[in-house]
Amino acid sequence: MDSKKIMICDDDQGILDVLQMLLELEGYEVLPQLNSIHVIKEIMIHSPDVLLLDLWMPVLSGDQILKAIRSTPEIKQLPVIVLSASGDGNKIAMEVGADGFIAKPFDLDDILLKINSLLPN
Amino acid sequence: MINENLDIYLQALNSANSGIIITDNLQPDNPIIYCNSAFEKISGYSTDEIIGHNCRFLQAQDRSQAERQLLKDSIREGKECKVEIRNYRKNGQLFWNELLISPVKNEEGLVTHFIGVQHDVTERKRVEYELREEKTYIEEKVRERTKEIMVKEAFLSSIIQTVRESLLVLDSNYVVLSANNHFLSTFKVTQEETVGKVLFELGNHQWDIDPLKDLLTKILPTNNPVTDYEVEHHFQHIGKKVMLLNAYRIELEGQYKDRILIAIEDITEKKELDRRKDDFLSIASHELKTPLTTIKSLIQLLQRMDPAKNPEKFTTSLDKVSVYIEKLNKLISKLLDTSKIHSGNIELHMEPFEIDKTVQDAIDNLSVAIPGHHISFSGCTNATVIGDEMQILQVINNLISNAIKYAPGSKNVEVYINNVGNFVKISVKDYGMGINHQDKIKIFERFFRASDIQKKYPGLGIGLYVSHEIVVNHKGTLWVESEIGEGSTFNFTLPIMKNNNYG
Repeated sequence: MDSKKIMICDDDQGILDVLQMLLELEGYEVLPQLNSIHVIKEIMIHSPDVLLLDLWMPVLSGDQILKAIRSTPEIKQLPVIVLSASGDGNKIAMEVGADGFIAKPFDLDDILLKINSLLPN
Repeated sequence: MINENLDIYLQALNSANSGIIITDNLQPDNPIIYCNSAFEKISGYSTDEIIGHNCRFLQAQDRSQAERQLLKDSIREGKECKVEIRNYRKNGQLFWNELLISPVKNEEGLVTHFIGVQHDVTERKRVEYELREEKTYIEEKVRERTKEIMVKEAFLSSIIQTVRESLLVLDSNYVVLSANNHFLSTFKVTQEETVGKVLFELGNHQWDIDPLKDLLTKILPTNNPVTDYEVEHHFQHIGKKVMLLNAYRIELEGQYKDRILIAIEDITEKKELDRRKDDFLSIASHELKTPLTTIKSLIQLLQRMDPAKNPEKFTTSLDKVSVYIEKLNKLISKLLDTSKIHSGNIELHMEPFEIDKTVQDAIDNLSVAIPGHHISFSGCTNATVIGDEMQILQVINNLISNAIKYAPGSKNVEVYINNVGNFVKISVKDYGMGINHQDKIKIFERFFRASDIQKKYPGLGIGLYVSHEIVVNHKGTLWVESEIGEGSTFNFTLPIMKNNNYG
């Protein structure tokens, strides 16, 4: 069985690294994205099963990306979990149609549970 | 016949009201040879004391009057003259004598006699004098008052010119009557460009600001005075200004009625500074959380690795690191809360909840988290309050953890709850160091920490500030009662929605 693909988009290399380590340990294929402007294109190419998306990023912010995803027919169904360290992150995430929100700093268990719940099974 | 006529003349003279004397100019020193009875009455002397004297006996010692010279000259030249002169009665009492002397000449034109007619004009003189005195007094008073008013005006205008706030005075048609220096320098205009112009037309109609028009034409006429009215406007030359206005229309009858005073506080920089501070706090806390997220995740990854292979010390060390990361995370969250509360965008999720239970939950949780301290709970309200339960919980947590933190020598914290009128009152009492009087209000300010506490107990100094803001947002009050060395009691109230005892 092919492993599930998780794309992570965050402008912080440390967070990308640690999430990649975790998810690879759990048997996922991980697609880290440091630069937010390439995300939409990368999603089209790789068709991930879940996207972990940071909110506060330079150039393109998480909510802009999520809006773009929701208005692009080919990828609008993609499950997206928003990760943010800002207090009003949850509200913003829900407004733009996120499937889940996890506050930073997060518990790895929460990340895994949330991903699992969004994967078709 | 002649004698008969003389008698009648003499009788006539004696019934006259005017004092009349005749002097003989041909005799040495011009002595009085006749006086009528009115003269006796005026002078207080009897005829036999008068006859033979020169008139000057009436002047007593008062010899330096200018009128004397006039009399002397007239007598020498044989002319008529009228003077008002100070004379003295026999008893020494002063009287003002209006004296008319006229010469009597014989066929050769030689002055043989003088006739003196006298009126006592003391009363008239007195009234004249009093009037003059009164006038001088009034003039003096007017001078004093005028000076006082000028001094006051100079004083008031120096205040107006010195204040660091812009002040304008308008007439009822919004024409600027005066503008102080601060106005001129803030808005970079001159006196000439401002005074005498309609406010809305100032600076090429730059002051044609709708909210300002609303204030003066709509709000002020029915809501006088108006305070803290915020107007934001972009001026061509000086850029965006945020102004806080107080406006006052003079209602007192008189020359100033319907004039309008406007005080303008320029809060542009203050607003900008507040915004920057909030932005800074918000960015700082976000930026701090990002590396913290990585650290926390890495620790969790290490913890997930096969525990059997790790020595016990390795595992316990990792657990400890986790605890401290959590502490750091909470500090950063508080910082973010503070900035949000201050910029007013914290959201309250208002729902009814039972306050007794909330307080009990907080105590139960803290008792588990902080073993070694005894937190007692007494009282019961059965009240339901409306509010954001999570935030109220945060207030209770803050107060209890402060009580534990700042009372290291004591293991007891007492919490009690009561109904007080339409409010519930929650109190947290510790037996710690207490708070000195000056600090009792300051401790609720952002970033304030009592200086002696700062050294012993590091922290951010925002817990009480946040608690205070939360309680105020719930229309309650948070305050402290404390004596140095005797501990502190923090109290807060919340309005009751309903009391379950009765409804």
